[in-house]
Amino acid sequence: MHTHVWKQIRDREGGKVRANNFVNSIKSYRISQLQLANHKDIVSPHKGAVNSLQIDSTEGRYLLSAASDASVAVYDVQRSATSEASAAFCKHRCLFVVDKQHRQAHKYAVSTAIWYPIDTGLFVTGSYDHHINVWDTNTTQVVVNFKMPGKVHRIAMSNLSTSHMLIAAGTEDVQVRLCDIASGAFAHTLSGHRDGVMTVEWSNSSEWVLITGGCDGAIRFWDIRRAGCFQVLDQSQTQLGRRPPILKRSMITKDSSAKLRGAQKKHANGSGCRQQPIGRVPSKGPMKQRLHPGMLSTQDRATAHYGAVTGLKATEDGMYLLSAGSDSRLRLWDVQSGCNTLVNFETVRLQINKPLQLATTQDSALVFVPCMRSVKAFDMWSGYTYTVLRGHYECVNSCWFNQQNQELYTGGNDRQILVWSPARSIDDEMGEGPAEDQDNWSS
Amino acid sequence: MSIWNYVVTAHKPTNVTHSCVGNFTSPQDLNLIIAKCTRIEIHLLSPQGLQPMLDVPIYGRIATLELFRPHGETQDYLFIATERYKFCVLQWDSETAELVTRAMGDVSDRIGRPTDNGQIGIIDPDCRLIGLHLYDGLFKVIPFDNKGQLKEAFNIRCVFAGKLELRIEDLEKDNKDARHVKTYEVALKDKDFVEGPWSQNNLDNGADLLIPVPPPLCGVLIIGEETIVYCSANAFKAIPIRPSITKAYGRVDPDGSRYLLGDHTGLLSLLVITHEKEKVTGLKIEPLGETSIASSISYLDNAFVYIGSSYGDSQPDAKGSYVEVLERYVNLGPIVDFCVVDLERQGQGQVVTCSGAYKDGSLRVVRNGIGINEQASVELQGIKGMWSLRSSTDDPFDTFLVVSFISETRILAMNLEDELEETEIEGFCSQVQTLFCHDAVHNQLVQVTSNSVRLVSSTTRELRNEWFAPSGYSVNVATANATQVLLATGGGHLVYLEIGDGILHEVKHAQLEYEISCLDINPIGENPNHSHLAAVGMWTDISVRIFSLPDLNLVTKEQLGGEIIPRSVLLCAFEGISYLLCALGDGHLLNFMLNTNTGELTDRKKVSLGTQPITLRTFSSKNTTHVFAASDRPTVIYSSNKKLLYSNVNLKEVSHMCPFNSAAFPDSLAIAKEGELTIGTIDDIQKLHIRSIPLGEHARRICHQEQSRTFAICSLKYNPTSGEDSEMHFVRLLDDQTFEFISTYSLDTYEYGCFIISCSFSDDNNVYYCVGTAYVLPEENEPTKGRILVFTVEDGKLQLIAEKETKGAVYCLNAFNGKLLAAINQKIQLYKWVLRDDGTHELQSECGHHGHILALYVQTRGDFIVVGDLMKSISLLIYKHEEGAIEERARDYNANWMSAVEILDDDIYLGAENNFNLFTVRKNSEGATDEERGRLEVVGEYHLGEFINRFRHGSLVMRLPDSDVGQIPTVIFGTINGVIGVIASLPHEQYVFLEKLQSNLRKVIKGVGGLSHEQWRSFNNEKKTVEARNFLDGDLIESFLDLNRSRMDEISKAMDVSVEELCKRVEELTRLH
Repeated sequence: MHTHVWKQIRDREGGKVRANNFVNSIKSYRISQLQLANHKDIVSPHKGAVNSLQIDSTEGRYLLSAASDASVAVYDVQRSATSEASAAFCKHRCLFVVDKQHRQAHKYAVSTAIWYPIDTGLFVTGSYDHHINVWDTNTTQVVVNFKMPGKVHRIAMSNLSTSHMLIAAGTEDVQVRLCDIASGAFAHTLSGHRDGVMTVEWSNSSEWVLITGGCDGAIRFWDIRRAGCFQVLDQSQTQLGRRPPILKRSMITKDSSAKLRGAQKKHANGSGCRQQPIGRVPSKGPMKQRLHPGMLSTQDRATAHYGAVTGLKATEDGMYLLSAGSDSRLRLWDVQSGCNTLVNFETVRLQINKPLQLATTQDSALVFVPCMRSVKAFDMWSGYTYTVLRGHYECVNSCWFNQQNQELYTGGNDRQILVWSPARSIDDEMGEGPAEDQDNWSS
Repeated sequence: MSIWNYVVTAHKPTNVTHSCVGNFTSPQDLNLIIAKCTRIEIHLLSPQGLQPMLDVPIYGRIATLELFRPHGETQDYLFIATERYKFCVLQWDSETAELVTRAMGDVSDRIGRPTDNGQIGIIDPDCRLIGLHLYDGLFKVIPFDNKGQLKEAFNIRCVFAGKLELRIEDLEKDNKDARHVKTYEVALKDKDFVEGPWSQNNLDNGADLLIPVPPPLCGVLIIGEETIVYCSANAFKAIPIRPSITKAYGRVDPDGSRYLLGDHTGLLSLLVITHEKEKVTGLKIEPLGETSIASSISYLDNAFVYIGSSYGDSQPDAKGSYVEVLERYVNLGPIVDFCVVDLERQGQGQVVTCSGAYKDGSLRVVRNGIGINEQASVELQGIKGMWSLRSSTDDPFDTFLVVSFISETRILAMNLEDELEETEIEGFCSQVQTLFCHDAVHNQLVQVTSNSVRLVSSTTRELRNEWFAPSGYSVNVATANATQVLLATGGGHLVYLEIGDGILHEVKHAQLEYEISCLDINPIGENPNHSHLAAVGMWTDISVRIFSLPDLNLVTKEQLGGEIIPRSVLLCAFEGISYLLCALGDGHLLNFMLNTNTGELTDRKKVSLGTQPITLRTFSSKNTTHVFAASDRPTVIYSSNKKLLYSNVNLKEVSHMCPFNSAAFPDSLAIAKEGELTIGTIDDIQKLHIRSIPLGEHARRICHQEQSRTFAICSLKYNPTSGEDSEMHFVRLLDDQTFEFISTYSLDTYEYGCFIISCSFSDDNNVYYCVGTAYVLPEENEPTKGRILVFTVEDGKLQLIAEKETKGAVYCLNAFNGKLLAAINQKIQLYKWVLRDDGTHELQSECGHHGHILALYVQTRGDFIVVGDLMKSISLLIYKHEEGAIEERARDYNANWMSAVEILDDDIYLGAENNFNLFTVRKNSEGATDEERGRLEVVGEYHLGEFINRFRHGSLVMRLPDSDVGQIPTVIFGTINGVIGVIASLPHEQYVFLEKLQSNLRKVIKGVGGLSHEQWRSFNNEKKTVEARNFLDGDLIESFLDLNRSRMDEISKAMDVSVEELCKRVEELTRLH
């Protein structure tokens, strides 16, 4: 797609391009220009592998990183502290770091650090030392602490939540725990996985829906208001969107509609035409209604990957889920039907022993996946490699895409945090100032 | 300015986004319904043309507008869906002439991503369901039950992207960008799609428009750029067309055999489906003619069609073998740029906009109030009154102009050379002041002086009869019409005379208890020469009374209250409604509805027009009667939609006015002002006066240069014959009076004009036009080269003085500390103006600032620079003179995609962004930490619902130092839909008062379709929705004046403020625009 920025701006002011389209096309143009940033550098203070990265969702400004040396650091990615703010190249040092010198620091590797979704006043860390700590950002003191039954692999909080403050934690243990910041206690345990849980992800369409991926290869969907999981993804379930032609179909529908009327009523969409949270399986289609505990044992044993599920990412529109597995596969799932879309991502090889942090663009066009030493961007719908970002010297663990300025941050075992941003013209960086001043002197 | 802002529309949206035709207001009425983004207009098609019935705001940007008829109904319902996912179904209540909400709801979803191609809404012609495509991958269905009620909505997953049409025809765009059409059937029971009977793969690449063909033919027309295809389950017909992009269509026949198509060049064509019985045999297309570039086409009836346009004026056409424009409705959109100038140097701003696009591009001069185009003037001091007289009763033109002074009366007349010269009417007494003059029946003229009434023949000009005031009494005030004279002498005597052929009868005499201050017997009944009512204003008891004629019986007495006596009364009728207007000595005007049968006065309203006594006089313009109120702030009173409106006249002070319709100066007014008598014609009577200057090309930037009295524009001309990308760009110089091109500078191939300013530099007295350009090369995504060109105007020609190459597009230019500040791609760059050894000047770069994504909009004040970024909201930079450097001071860290910025004052900056919101940010210099000081605090948020392209400081109205509103600073904005709006910064006390009024109005004035005003004005983007703050909706507040008395009382009670006080305070605000 050829986007001419200048023409887009002109067409927007003339009303020829919808404001919404304008934003989308500029964003996707900028994303197509991603490269190692030539104007911005993050100075990593970590002495171990960078395991997790996250930008705050309020301003898209503060980057939180967690590393295997038990340290956690925060950076301002928008404003450089260095005085020469007008300079073309800025170094961003961390605003603070919590490392082993800190009294309350973790003892072992920090596997995840996340911001409290409402503001940057709190952040939460999960560590291999079996603890989850909630920190006050301003004082860098622990305000709440949770003792977990094993190494913490991944923690997550819901961005949508307006009524709960739950941290979902995936640990070595088979149970997923929900830690309530408000009470400082465990709210629930979710049982179903048969092995440790590598990755947890909240739904982007309902604050009550949690998705977990385990070392048992299963991806489970939970409605935390109810007991048990309501859906297990099955990699062999691949029928999506086949609509039978009218004649044959009408025969089927008569039957099935009669049978399922009761169920349908229960699941009719909410009043006022508001769509109810997804995650409720539609009562028709190839899969039967699954309700815990009546869920068929065959379905309960379904797997999404051969081996462990190492990464999960729900798309921003809430309609799809991406999963990465130790089988070196990336799968795209249709959330509503639970179907494997069978998009063939050209991943080649993925790290197998660590949780992977995937990132997607806002329009769900691309997914960024750590593929050993490089980060690959795949077209979400075709699975083709869109671009390969090479810059790390060792395996990449995490990536975070900043939707606000279309920058990608990646962290790896080489202890580096790299910034990938839309290219800026080098001409501009040369600056007209100095070069011309010299001319003036000589003339 | 301040953080408490008042946003009001001075010019409503004019961009027609949707239109439809149907029987909405009654089964017999044929209505045209037009959506102009945030308003709908309902028109009635009548033999006289389109008659407006209703024009109402919608609390949302309209995404879908459809008429439909539920089963068993005899008239249509209106379905509206808004861009913020609200929908409503409206029905016309013919008793109250109002819209009634039948259904409403919210169709937003948590999941899904808003569609790229805009929302689509369709209604099944058999009224079984409404289909909405709002999010990619989801098709929402709202089913009807058999009673026509809406049922619960549900979503169907779908894989298409593109257009949907009736019977669910889907245009599907697959990964390879090929286009297909598929049909689906909605299975309501299953809440799913079933594959339809046919599909068509690999269409014309430009296939963007689907037209459903109704039964009996059925099927669909697929309009491509090069072909038109008819498809149905059993037929496939195609014809090639001239390459064009079809923008809109309208169905002509109910059976769907003929369609009007409008393309991107404005060509209107007729597409015919030829058929034998119900079998389609072929397609035919025939060009009809050229119109404005259509955005919607509605076929009205009998070969009348309404063409709505986004880029030009909208027009209903009559078509025969060619297209003829019947009527044209002004469209200012899209306003891409404008400037505020005072061309007449009267202290009143005018807005000159760059409007339209492509061939419909134009400049529009928008001015508030009514202009007087001066035809002739003479210096005359001390005019006390003026009347025009005809030389015979059946002469269509006025001949004489009687001008009265304190101790004499002079008569002016048109001579054979069409000049105004002094003449005499022998029968008139010219040594005294004339109190009143009028044409009378039987070729007579009437003159009233302080001691007599004289009846004079208009042909012989000789005195025919005279009535003398009783001795000891002199006539104080008098009035007359063609057959009647009413006068008042000292002592409260009221005398009524009737005019006969050569004779004056004293018919009746009455004595009142007080002195009489003013009189009127303007005929408003059926007989244009005779009135059966007289209005009389009184001293002492400050009342206005209605007497019956000829018996002089008191019918009504209305106490005016207060201490100011009435100075002028007038009986008049507008749009069939009779009014009594009564002007007071302090510039206030009272108006009453007058029942001409009973003489009853109702519906009293008071407005303030000026500060000096007002004289009222009727005049007609374009066959409609209006009232001229002469005072220190002359005003024309007129009626629109049965509502009295007041419009300023662009003159400083007028003491007297009379219509003077002479052969040489038809439809003119004689105006006495400031020692001068002027004869001039009057503009069309409307609040905003718009003059259109068609350019035939698209103007993108405009600025005015006071010194050379010129405008300069950056414009481009499309060359449709040689492909899409062939555009020619110019810098053009226009005379600021005639608006003619007087000089042109052609830019290079691929060079586009981006910005233009008029500025001067330190140590140089000349004024220059500086133009920023970009080289837009086809192979580049972002410009890497541009120029800054510096021109002077010499002998009306643009002379290039200096040029400077830049490393990117010059998006913005500002004069800054005697230097030039340019925004070039990501960078802010400062250039100084340097004198070279050879005496010529050049631009030399001094310093710059990085750190923007694209610095699109820049404003400066002192050493401060405010940058509106493509996507990073507003940042504040400062220029440090000593270091010669530009540094960032503070930034708003929200991710606003900007469309315009302006500096309100040292600390407060105004921004407009991509989601149609307005916001203000404040510099926090007193912050305790670096972090606080480095952050621009958001202090105001508001959803305008319009895309703003430009802010400019200035005012559309004359700033009068004595009025309260004269002190309120304002910013004007222009939008894509042609809205011109005003943002006024209010004092805190006034803001608080109006905020309270607004919240009370919200309770009383319900939004059309039950849409909430509070939700509509809430700041809304992808990330958040927050209630509006520190902005008030002036349109809602000013609608207080349209409420009926009982609702006003309701609000007055809730506010604990009198209705009069509320009216006064709201009226003051209406003077801001």
